[in-house]
Amino acid sequence: MPVALVTGGTAGIGAAFADQLAADGHDLVLVARGVERLAAVANDLSTRHGVAVERLPADLTEPGGRAAVERRLAATPPVDLLVCNAGAQVRHEFLDAPLSELQTEIDVNVSGVLRQAHVALTGMVERGHGAVVLVSSFAGLLPARGSAYGATRAYAIALADTLAPALTGTGVRVTVLCPGFVRTESVRGIPAAAAFRQGFLLLRPDQVARRALTDLRAGRTVSVPGVVYRAVWTWLDLPRRVLRLGARLAGKDRRRRAAPPVAHPRIPAPRSAVDAVERPVRS
Amino acid sequence: MITGATSGIGREFAAHLARDGHDLVLVARDRQRLDAAATEGREAGVVVEVLPTDLATAAGRDQVAARLADPDVAPIDLLINNAGLVAPGSLLGAAPDDLQRQLDVNVTAVLHLTRAALPGMIDRGRGAVVNVSSIAGLLPGRSPSYGADKAWVTSFTEGVAVSLRGTGVRAMALCPGFVRTEFHERARIDVGARRGPFWLDAARVVDDCLLDLERGRILSIPSRQYQALAALADLLPRPLVRRLVGRGRQAKP
Repeated sequence: MPVALVTGGTAGIGAAFADQLAADGHDLVLVARGVERLAAVANDLSTRHGVAVERLPADLTEPGGRAAVERRLAATPPVDLLVCNAGAQVRHEFLDAPLSELQTEIDVNVSGVLRQAHVALTGMVERGHGAVVLVSSFAGLLPARGSAYGATRAYAIALADTLAPALTGTGVRVTVLCPGFVRTESVRGIPAAAAFRQGFLLLRPDQVARRALTDLRAGRTVSVPGVVYRAVWTWLDLPRRVLRLGARLAGKDRRRRAAPPVAHPRIPAPRSAVDAVERPVRS
Repeated sequence: MITGATSGIGREFAAHLARDGHDLVLVARDRQRLDAAATEGREAGVVVEVLPTDLATAAGRDQVAARLADPDVAPIDLLINNAGLVAPGSLLGAAPDDLQRQLDVNVTAVLHLTRAALPGMIDRGRGAVVNVSSIAGLLPGRSPSYGADKAWVTSFTEGVAVSLRGTGVRAMALCPGFVRTEFHERARIDVGARRGPFWLDAARVVDDCLLDLERGRILSIPSRQYQALAALADLLPRPLVRRLVGRGRQAKP
């Protein structure tokens, strides 16, 4: 059975992913902080869906917790689907936020996501199959608004944009999920959410996870659940999608020509198009 | 204060600001190159401080943050977060430590130094932070996680700029395209002859940037070629939405 690893897998969107993937016949590796809740959710999922559920208690705000997840992603049985769902959000505006909290936000949402995706994708590309879902936020699609949170979400979206064209032809996919307001525990305490609580803008976790998995199967890089959110995003994103298509076609073209990539001391031999040395634009 | 001040765009900022009569604090890793850059500045008749340090390390970031927040020395009126790098190789081939190092310089250092500089500037009612991003942050790029770093820088700076409204302090992201510097050699990227309409001189980029800062822009995209590209990519709706978002904030009690 394929194995899916879900971080923050015991609540909200993460729990919805775990449930749907188990129902779909995936064995699970669940990562979460709370040991008791982890045990309860794991038992429930294995009983209801008859899948094996591995528990990985880890606090992703700690370096040790992030390292444990990276070790598991490099271990066996190999992980076929990684859902980077755990996230941190500072409740203050940037200018009032303590540096330590801002750092934690970066550690979990940026550093953690990059490193987990890096470890997982390396194995997946070698095996020729696999998928990564990065759970970002609709906030990452909009211009940021006084907090540094949106920027960490813009990071994940741009990371998926970077990865998707590089992965064409490898059998590995990446999708970034950008949900708006979701009825989960993390919404509590955000005043803006109160206004939307009863409204049609509030999404259900199962609806969000389902949309992400549908978009992943369809090979879409960006997944935006909810009709209203999707309409806004389509308007915001149209030209960007043209470029994304262009990048993908350019990637295909490069592979067809099969020009040897520029030799680089760190990589012994080019494995695939993914190893082709890119030309980043300079700041 | 300019980070990564000994080469490329950073060095050009130092030269330009010295000519304009700004005293300088130059931050970079290489002591010798720092001293050389400092000598140039002093020849232009300004006071130059040097901080040899590595922004990829927590100690290095703390040292620079402490200088920015120090009330007993000349306050920093303009912080230019210019230091940046790209880990060699493709994303999947890169070593995790190299990726972390890239992230720590491109993202973590910008976060820390901006956070350290702003309270003093706000107290004084003036000042500016320029974060050197890249056009790569506006496009779905193909470079190893570099575009994602720069998307963070651009988005982060926009957010900070909105926070700063009415304080007299400004934040701006500089988004250049290809610039003739030693950046690509260091990243071991072969970019060929470096000619054509999409290759810019560092001096031109810095001139445009400082002009845009004076005009109160949040995003500076030097040269018409790249402005057109960015508009095509996604800038057309973005400023509009940014304005709406800003209005929403101001309307709040």
